[in-house]
Amino acid sequence: MQRQSRKKMREMGQGYFFMSPSLLVLALFIIGPILYVVFLSFHKVQLLGNGSLEFVGLDNFSRLADDSRAQIALWNTIKYVAIVVPAQTFLALVLAATLNAGLKGQQFFRIVYFLPTLTSSAVLTLIFMWMYNKNGLINSMLEGIGLQGYNFLGDPDIALNAIMIMNIWSTAPFFMVIYLAALQDIPESVYEAAEIDGANWFQKFWKITVPQLRPVTSFVAIMGLIGTFQLFDQSYIFSAGSGGPDNSTLTVVLLIYQYAFKTLGTMGYAAALAFILALVILIATLLQRKFSKEESLY
Amino acid sequence: MKKKKIGAGKVLLYGILIAYAITTLVPFLWAISSSFKTLQEIVSGTISFIPKNFTLDNYKQIFLQQELFPRWMFNSVVIAVSVTFLNLLFNSMAGYALARLAFPGKKALFIIILAVLMIPAQVTMIPNYLILKSLGWLNSYQGMIVPSMINATFIFMMRQFFINFPKELEEAAEIDGLSRVGTFFRIVLPLAKPALAAQAIFVFMGSWNDFMRPLIIMTDAEMFTLPLGLNTFKGQYISYWNYIMAASMVFTLPVLVIYAFFNRYFIKGVSFTGGK
Amino acid sequence: MMNKKWFAGLGISAMLLGSALTGCSSDNGGSEPKDGEKVEVTLAGWGGNPTEEKLLKETLADFEQKHPNIDVKLEVITEQYMDVIKTRLIGGEGPDVFYLDAFEAPGLIKTGAVEPLDEYVTKDFDVDDFEKPLLDAFKEDGKTYGFPKDYSTLALFYNKKMLSDAGVEVPKTWEEFTAASKKLTKGKVAGFGAAPELARVYWMAESKGGKVVTDDKASFASKEVEAGLQPLLDMHNVDKSAVEPKEVGASWGGEMFGQQKAAMVIEGNWAIPYLKDTFPDVEYGTAELPTVDGKNSTMAYDVAYVMNAASEKKKASWELLSYLTGKEGMKTWTSKGYALPARQSVAEELGFDKDELRAPLVAGASYATVWQKGPNMPIIVNNFNNQFMSAFLGKRPLGEALKDAEKQANKEIE
Repeated sequence: MQRQSRKKMREMGQGYFFMSPSLLVLALFIIGPILYVVFLSFHKVQLLGNGSLEFVGLDNFSRLADDSRAQIALWNTIKYVAIVVPAQTFLALVLAATLNAGLKGQQFFRIVYFLPTLTSSAVLTLIFMWMYNKNGLINSMLEGIGLQGYNFLGDPDIALNAIMIMNIWSTAPFFMVIYLAALQDIPESVYEAAEIDGANWFQKFWKITVPQLRPVTSFVAIMGLIGTFQLFDQSYIFSAGSGGPDNSTLTVVLLIYQYAFKTLGTMGYAAALAFILALVILIATLLQRKFSKEESLY
Repeated sequence: MKKKKIGAGKVLLYGILIAYAITTLVPFLWAISSSFKTLQEIVSGTISFIPKNFTLDNYKQIFLQQELFPRWMFNSVVIAVSVTFLNLLFNSMAGYALARLAFPGKKALFIIILAVLMIPAQVTMIPNYLILKSLGWLNSYQGMIVPSMINATFIFMMRQFFINFPKELEEAAEIDGLSRVGTFFRIVLPLAKPALAAQAIFVFMGSWNDFMRPLIIMTDAEMFTLPLGLNTFKGQYISYWNYIMAASMVFTLPVLVIYAFFNRYFIKGVSFTGGK
Repeated sequence: MMNKKWFAGLGISAMLLGSALTGCSSDNGGSEPKDGEKVEVTLAGWGGNPTEEKLLKETLADFEQKHPNIDVKLEVITEQYMDVIKTRLIGGEGPDVFYLDAFEAPGLIKTGAVEPLDEYVTKDFDVDDFEKPLLDAFKEDGKTYGFPKDYSTLALFYNKKMLSDAGVEVPKTWEEFTAASKKLTKGKVAGFGAAPELARVYWMAESKGGKVVTDDKASFASKEVEAGLQPLLDMHNVDKSAVEPKEVGASWGGEMFGQQKAAMVIEGNWAIPYLKDTFPDVEYGTAELPTVDGKNSTMAYDVAYVMNAASEKKKASWELLSYLTGKEGMKTWTSKGYALPARQSVAEELGFDKDELRAPLVAGASYATVWQKGPNMPIIVNNFNNQFMSAFLGKRPLGEALKDAEKQANKEIE
């Protein structure tokens, strides 16, 4: 009994020892700032110059109700998430399954596919702005095949879609890698059995690969949700920080950024918005979990 | 009969593979080709992947005009390498503890780590800055390194990896009289190479590409990292796409080298699932 | 249980906030260096092109030579200038002297982060030499918070060859301008390359007696402002003689003008060196902006040097600030014509009023509206630009767009 508990104590010590660097950084640079932000969300704050701090209770939260830009931002973000997450997940799955089919040269394709994920989002956004240009590559190609070109960056109806396409293209390979790794865990024997039953490639994909990969899909979807809800860089660079044209590329995080930095004295409101965003992400994650009934992840 | 069918399937698969490879490569090829073009050619609006007047001037401009360029490169390497090394160590330790060791508060900690992922970094920027300032770490390497020496995503990933890790090896080591810490460093970590390789690429990339943090905390031009430095360039040459593309290529190359280096461990190491 | 957690959270937050606030109000002057001691003053600005950077370094070298006990440390903030400056000021780590755009000035001055300069000014500094509207942009409640370093106004840039090919005279009135633009529109060339944003169309918006801002609130949803702006929209949507840069694959007016995709643009001083470096073959001229109802108007964009109120080296900072905005420093800085000098004496000495390309820009200074309308301008501009663009593109009626934008802006100002 005594030995048992001493062993337990020792394990506890080891546990904390192993966690200690992470705990320290987490507390000081992540949890601390988050608590500070929570605190700010109940105040009207002016940090600059003489500084002022005034407790306003839930005002920052109720303000959201008649802030039409916040509603637009939320709507844009949700639209973005709803399209990008399924699209990039599906594309990642298809690419992984194709790469895993045991064809010659897959090593080469793997390296090629992974390129976008290795490039910084700022650089990618610049490359795409250059391609989306009215006289740029994409419009020339569209006109080359007899289609009409678009003003991708300037037209409010198109700007967000242009960002979506770019993001699906650049994020799918990251999740593809995760799928690829998981595909190697599916025992060959399952496929062999199916082959004996006369299943073709597509049937094997749909009846074996997809169900087997469900836990991974759940993970990919959650990571995708968290990532897309926090869309910032691309919108920022495309619109030079404004979220335009016509608020069409305004996302929640971009709005938070504007309230925190561009306008003075709205830091508290920015904090409240961040708080609400975290809540939305949490709810979306829980919904996703419930929907996919996948428990093994956590 | 059966053979023919596989043939058709193969063609289809290759079709998909090649089509997507082209989709992926075109933007890069376009950027590379633009970086070797003269401004006149870019401005003229003709679409061609092969530069009419091939020129290295854009690259020369970047390297010659800015005498601090090697220094920025050095800063970026120091920071990215340290951050990568520390992340590998600390994330693995934390992941291991969460997967293997029993201690009070473990579950709560795990949930906190997941929750942290949901807060956008833009909001914690100001408090973060204030903390770095009170530590006196502005304009320093440690100001860049310490706050990013762990990463919630990869703690999570390492936990999943260690849950699947065969316990028998550790038990054998314990019988041989190795302590838990000894086992971790001598037995477990060396076997986790694939997972570490995957992590190394992602962490290195994240640190290498980080823009907001150095923008705010590095005031000395001598302490700039490459993204900041290249940005001075972008600011000076608005709409000079030839320079911007050349700078982007210079910036992307080191990550590609790292990737090529770790590539062979890569796929095996990414294991997010199987938390049974 | 829940309550306890909240309290702990608040405790930590209060601690952090405490450190933040003490950071801001760190007491001034206590550690002011004594005379004769070597002092380092930090100067922050945004990056310019290589020539501008060289000019600035030259000016600073001259200064250091004349003040051997002061070293200047130059900090270049490459992007998001105001965001970075604000963050550093909050942290008590702001530069001693920094650039401030007139547009951002009222907001920042209101917070108390900028030092009033009146008590430092000596007679030699000759405050009356500054162009008055430019200096007034940095005054608040009778105190002066910054001295202008340079400015630029807007002028009409026209492509000489295109105009003569089309047999068009340089337009002097708005009517002539729209007619010329129509004539100049041919195939891939648009008559006018517009910049549909408030900073550039403000003078049009107020040309029919409307007010964009009243009592620090947006007031642009009026018939008068609409009447001022509608002609520009008609050029794009009815005459099809105007385009905005993105529609022709350019990032700004100077670029589309250089690429000869627009025969006329309205740009500032900054376009002159750009065109010289990038498109040396384009022959162009400049003229004062077309008059509306016989009245001249243009915009002036004005940047000043200001001092951090929390600086611990105010004396040395003033030495630097007064040198840079003094006659000598300003002369070196503006000598190449990248920006126009804010002092009349320097402008006369450098002869920009006789320079063929710059004369119309200098002439504008006397009647220009300074781009600055109170502390809430960033909010107003953001909302205006957002909606105005879709009206410009013909996606919605102007009146409706202006109404929406005004409503939203004023809600945010609350």
